[in-house]
Amino acid sequence: MAMEESPQVTRRATRSYSASNTAIESTNPPESYKPTINDLGFRQQPLRLEDLLSSFPGRRSQILELLRLLGPLNSPMFPILVYGGPSTGKTSVTLQVFRHLNRPFIYSSCITCYSPRILFESILNQLLFHRKDSGHSYSSVKRCERPSDFVNYLREALENVITNLKGNSGKVSSKMSGRPDGTMVYLVFDNLERVRDWDKSSTILPFLFNLNDILKMPEVGLIFISNTSPDTYYLNIGYVEPIPLYFPDYTEDDLRHIFMANQTNSRLYASFLDVVLRPFCRVTRQVDELAAAFSSLFKKYSEPLSDKEVAPNEEMKRRLFSHIRPHIASALNETFQVRSQPLLKADTNQETKKTNSSRMPGIREDFDKIDFHMSTSAKYLLISAFLASRNPATLDASLFDSTGVSDSRKRKRKASEKSMDQKEMAEQELLMKGPGTFPLERLLAIFQCITSLAEDSLDEEESHELTVEGGSRGLMSDVLLQLSSLCNANFIIKGGSCPLEGSTRYRTAVSEDLALKVARSLKFPLSKYLYRR
Amino acid sequence: MGREKEKEKPSEKALNLLRSRLSDPNFIFRSLSDSPDSNYSKLKFLISTSVTEACNNSILLLGPRGSGKVACLKLQSHNASKYIRIHILCFLILYCLRLLMQIRLNGLLHSDDNCALKEIARQLCMEHQLLFSKVASFDDNSQFMIAMLRECGLAHKTIIFVLDEFDFFAQGKQRLLYSLLDAMQSVNSQAVVIGVSCRLDVDQLLEKRVRSRFSHRKLLFLSPSKEDTERFMEHILSLPMDSSLPHNYAAEFNGRLKKILSDERFKELIDTYLSFNFTIGHLVRFLFQAVSYMDLNAGFLSLGNFKAALSSNQRQPKLECIRDCSVLELYMMVCMKRLEVKEQTSYNFCSVMTEYKSIHDSFQTSDYYAANVCLRAFEHLLQCQLINFIDNKGHNQSVEFRPVKLLISSAELHQGLKSYQQCPAILLKLMDR
Repeated sequence: MAMEESPQVTRRATRSYSASNTAIESTNPPESYKPTINDLGFRQQPLRLEDLLSSFPGRRSQILELLRLLGPLNSPMFPILVYGGPSTGKTSVTLQVFRHLNRPFIYSSCITCYSPRILFESILNQLLFHRKDSGHSYSSVKRCERPSDFVNYLREALENVITNLKGNSGKVSSKMSGRPDGTMVYLVFDNLERVRDWDKSSTILPFLFNLNDILKMPEVGLIFISNTSPDTYYLNIGYVEPIPLYFPDYTEDDLRHIFMANQTNSRLYASFLDVVLRPFCRVTRQVDELAAAFSSLFKKYSEPLSDKEVAPNEEMKRRLFSHIRPHIASALNETFQVRSQPLLKADTNQETKKTNSSRMPGIREDFDKIDFHMSTSAKYLLISAFLASRNPATLDASLFDSTGVSDSRKRKRKASEKSMDQKEMAEQELLMKGPGTFPLERLLAIFQCITSLAEDSLDEEESHELTVEGGSRGLMSDVLLQLSSLCNANFIIKGGSCPLEGSTRYRTAVSEDLALKVARSLKFPLSKYLYRR
Repeated sequence: MGREKEKEKPSEKALNLLRSRLSDPNFIFRSLSDSPDSNYSKLKFLISTSVTEACNNSILLLGPRGSGKVACLKLQSHNASKYIRIHILCFLILYCLRLLMQIRLNGLLHSDDNCALKEIARQLCMEHQLLFSKVASFDDNSQFMIAMLRECGLAHKTIIFVLDEFDFFAQGKQRLLYSLLDAMQSVNSQAVVIGVSCRLDVDQLLEKRVRSRFSHRKLLFLSPSKEDTERFMEHILSLPMDSSLPHNYAAEFNGRLKKILSDERFKELIDTYLSFNFTIGHLVRFLFQAVSYMDLNAGFLSLGNFKAALSSNQRQPKLECIRDCSVLELYMMVCMKRLEVKEQTSYNFCSVMTEYKSIHDSFQTSDYYAANVCLRAFEHLLQCQLINFIDNKGHNQSVEFRPVKLLISSAELHQGLKSYQQCPAILLKLMDR
């Protein structure tokens, strides 16, 4: 993880990906390529130890310990559990260590293998040198769903591979032919914590942890990589735990080394890091998040400079610092949405942007304006949904009466005097419950009320000729269509149906800030209609 | 470093030897199985009587994980033929290799009855060079098994069924156990069922009809005594004098090892380790770690190796997690702790945020960030399991509103904050109140 882009380069999603990434693809069409035993190695020039250590700053002791636990050539090993927070270099270090050792290994990630069957079949495919292609309609080499079948196939396949490797180790020139060294085969299971999510019957985790005992093959090494510490894998059947190997988060100094690598103007970047690294480290120490934030900030930092190659002196540093300071404060509060900013709107980031926006619509409201397009009626619908889930249903009548607004104010005054405790309790309850649910009818009633109100106010004022509002009938048209599109955009969540009424209930995830912003863009007096306890 | 050069090094060879010893259960448990009253000899006696007297038997091996139950069995099957050769009539010698066959099932893999019977049929077919049909039904397979049992009984062949993780077979309807034990009752067969489990109460899990057919023999595997452990470590770690290793090197290695083993500090170290992990399996793992820390240039084990292995085993994962947290995440946790102190039984992100805001309002901290940044920190806490959702329902509710709980005690949090270098003083103050 030395360079910002190295995870993408070195981390292999699947073996076929790596195979096609090396020289093979350019020379022959993928169909004619048959994986061989050579593919169990890393298929790149083995790294020297010094290069390995220097490419992972701050990971020296972990690399050395991993090497020690793997041991010299052909020596059996105990299962290892590599763990540490996200983006601490667990996977990259493990894979690069195998590149350094040039030993055969099988990599499978429990993110891409999201069910037992896919996990088992991907391992078997790699071991049996099988590649999915159109010739056999992308089927796997063996169909196996149960752990029992898997163990039988796995044992068979491993025995084949190991005899193959043993035959090969006799030859002297094994290094020249690019063949992997040794007769040990290592199985690497990445992202083990995901298994807890997809393994509903919770049989796979005990199985994987006991795989070493079940197989009883000294030529097989198991390496598990996990985000969470071993104590979170509590199994009620117990197991002899794998040897833990902890990857701590990078310290500030390590981060400095990491970010200094591969910079064209290192002096300038160093002065930049002096300014930004400390405040950002208080929020997060994850390399991937920091890298995203820094890349745009550095552009801003070096903006005043005409010559990007110049080495800054003290006076210039000060000038640059005063230039960047306001940006740091704002960037700190946006650390995690940098990817959806227009700066990075390049096509490379489109899918991340999509996932961001679909996941948390209520989170991204911090811009001055709403950064998405919405029809007026959709905005009104959103506001009415917000009102419906915030206000208690019993108060609708009084709130949307012509006199209702003042009514609610009176009520508030009365209540606040007396029982502070009760109020506090109610507040807590509200926080805990989150937004309430509402049926479709209520939403539509509120929608009609506020649209008619808005038109009334417009008529009275007669100030602007707003063309958007084309009469209540125009706004009411295809409101159900709007509703479904709001549901799809995750602004409104379709909940379960009410057991008594049997109709679907809705809820909105929109935060108050966003609702206020939408209301402001419509010049709608939202705060008047919000019931405050 | 050329590989040829590496091969010449005696230290590397020694390391390889030690590592392969440690991962070879046969070697490990041979030293423990010598004494006449060991579980191993009891089991040997049981199996040999059922072979010679042509009777059925069943037994449970119980003990904590890693105490050598399966290894004992494995050793057994290796040596049984030898044992027969010595003690039983000569005419058996000719058959002794074919007289015993072992069928191994594992509860983790074959807890499903269908699957288990299929596996039995498969192993029987493999042994007798018969054609195995994948599509055979449960009935077919169980009939086949009973027929095979009868045939083997007639041929004076003993089948040993080893059921590892026996408690998994005791779930559900226990059809497999019933049909197996029932076949042994009625048919003139010759079989031994050996159940292996780490649950001591496993025979209480059996149904009545199964329990009545089960002989209530149990063998308990206990942790080895102190003397045994010492003997065992010496047996495992000392190098053989008559191997390809240079004689001088092996002698010096063993001499130094003896010195370490008799060292008081070492004994203390082993005691601390064994006080929380007391089985042979754990000890072997510990020795493996120590051996792999061995300095290849020096070529000898040192006390430091064992110390390093111990310290890597004595981790406090929660404190490590706290050390990995950012300052903002510490704030979130302290807020939750404060809510707990205020006797607010359940809280979610929103209520934590109000607390966070109130702290900021009253103390004017420098670390005040927007809600989305805090939410991200909150999610990180969830990811490293310092906090957890209280219930699994409400999946369509977004993260902010789902109630959570803190998974560390306030003492742990306090300790974590103290050992955190850049921890703001205000947090410690808030915790003390």
